Amino acid sequence: MTTLISIRSLKKYFPIHEGFLSKNTKTVKAVDGVSLDIDHGEILGLVGESGCGKTTLGRMSINLIKPTSGEIIFGGVDILKLDNPGLKALRPKMQIIFQDPFGSLNPRFTVERIIGEAMMVHGLAERSNLRSKVIEIMQKVGLPGSFINRYPHEFSGGQRQRIGIARALSLHPRYLVCDEPVSALDVSIQAQIINLLQELQEKENISILFISHDLNVVKHLSHRTAVMYLGQIVETAPTKILNKNAAHPYTRALLAAKPSTNPKELSSHIPLSGDVPSPLNPPSGCHFHTRCPEATDRCKTEQPTPFQLEEHHTVQCHLYN
Amino acid sequence: MPTRPPLLHIENLTTSFHTNDTVVQAVRGVNLHVNQAETLAIVGESGCGKSVTALSILRLISMPPGRFDSGQIKFNNQDLLSLSEAGMQKVRGNDISMIFQEPMTSLNPIFTIGDQIGEAIIQHQSATGAEARKQTLKLLQKVLIPSPETRIDQYPHELSGGMKQRVMIAIAIACRPALLIADEPTTALDVTIQDQILSLLSSLKKDSEMSILLITHNLGIVAQFADRVNVMYSGKIVEEASVDSLFENPMHPYTRGLLNSLPKDDSESKLESISGAVPHPAFLPKGCAFHPRCKDAMPRCQQQPPLTNTTKENTHKVACWLYEEGGESL
Repeated sequence: MTTLISIRSLKKYFPIHEGFLSKNTKTVKAVDGVSLDIDHGEILGLVGESGCGKTTLGRMSINLIKPTSGEIIFGGVDILKLDNPGLKALRPKMQIIFQDPFGSLNPRFTVERIIGEAMMVHGLAERSNLRSKVIEIMQKVGLPGSFINRYPHEFSGGQRQRIGIARALSLHPRYLVCDEPVSALDVSIQAQIINLLQELQEKENISILFISHDLNVVKHLSHRTAVMYLGQIVETAPTKILNKNAAHPYTRALLAAKPSTNPKELSSHIPLSGDVPSPLNPPSGCHFHTRCPEATDRCKTEQPTPFQLEEHHTVQCHLYN
Repeated sequence: MPTRPPLLHIENLTTSFHTNDTVVQAVRGVNLHVNQAETLAIVGESGCGKSVTALSILRLISMPPGRFDSGQIKFNNQDLLSLSEAGMQKVRGNDISMIFQEPMTSLNPIFTIGDQIGEAIIQHQSATGAEARKQTLKLLQKVLIPSPETRIDQYPHELSGGMKQRVMIAIAIACRPALLIADEPTTALDVTIQDQILSLLSSLKKDSEMSILLITHNLGIVAQFADRVNVMYSGKIVEEASVDSLFENPMHPYTRGLLNSLPKDDSESKLESISGAVPHPAFLPKGCAFHPRCKDAMPRCQQQPPLTNTTKENTHKVACWLYEEGGESL
């Protein structure tokens, strides 16, 4: 498989102004040197706890947030170096589905306008054939075409998420960022949306960056998984290998913390202590050392670098290097 | 095991909300019981009435628009619904206490956490301020908050989400309640923090005789944490069983659907989802509320709501026509 999008040492620092006349400036290192590749037709799961920078990374990858530094090569072009017309031409190829199906649809627009607007902007439809094109896409995501004149408030959460998916797919993207697309939904509806995403991905061979905090969902859906902690990717591996042979202590803790749905398999592990440290003031050395059960003195001072355990399995931990 | 009467016994509880043009029955004739020192889980999707059931027990439903149409809530053989408001205040936070889903908004931002934990102790045990502070420090240690001496004088905004939930738990267990109601206690928390809170709750449970009524939509937490489960759908309990029995042999099509829609460990196949969505509580379908989404629906399901059937051992109950005469054998 060939690489569709390649992210190189991407960083995003948010300045925080404090004090009189904003004299003191601190920086939140939301994403701190991330490199990732996503192949054509691959689903890459991105897992991490709140505040680890996964949403920032996802949005940066389609240039919704300007990175502080780094490169994003999409189909051979560095999208950060493009001018506005160049970026606009590329936009249809990169789309996003948001977490909140209630907040991400304009309540004053009908479904026709919500789904159709982007197609009009990018010249993929004209006034005359817009309606039929919108109905076609609605049917593709399992919404009856007769709902075309309805407003978002007339739909349930699961249906709204289908509208969000339809809007993203209307432009035939090659790369789709799914930012926690099912975490606001109930279990039975979650399964519907996961199946839909999987089906569409297989049919259209889209590459997906699937951001989630739910390891079960990522495990089910993604080919490869990247684990993020405090702005850095600590482990990347094919999903099966990650679940069997997780190398990083944080990944292992995440997997152990997930409650098993088998009452016969009662967990006996010791929970990870402490909270995620503030990204304003991350710990020295390895960011995870404050919570790591296997931390040594080296971890407190020296930051680990990515180390390749096997082909496709990279870990950022002193235990292995 | 000697059989003691259940600590909490809810019979035929119906809670409804009256607005200008509609009546919504959020809880429709619920029967359930919580035994001494037992953890009972109520599982269901949003809007199924699980939180309203919990709030009804403590009578925290604002009236109007809320109303109890029928039923009894017996706690230690005393009907909570017929208690005076003053009598109810003695129960709340003392005999029965509650942890809420949102630790961020459930604490008062203008009081220190020491004040908020101490309040319950002063209210219910007529302790002095100094005694309450001493007990509060012990409680903070019990819920494993590091350096309690400094934390006790801090405000909620100085604490992380997991810490705040620990404070909520400290308030809840301050008066050694007989029953703790935990309404989605970990839904707002990250996986590793959820893990910490659940292990804290388990160790507290082991140390005391406390019963827990756990409300959740997470079947993993149910499997790991509860002794018995009630599955709720559209204001009714559709299945009741021990945890082992429910996960091994789910009977109601809804329960089966829920378990099948979870991503499995070993399969890459499609998830089996339940089609459609939960009906609006003001416009419930006739008959069994689940029939429009049910794969096994029969003509009868559209006409009459099902009765509750019990298996031979009297432990597994299900409300579904499939298990009536002529249906699947039990």
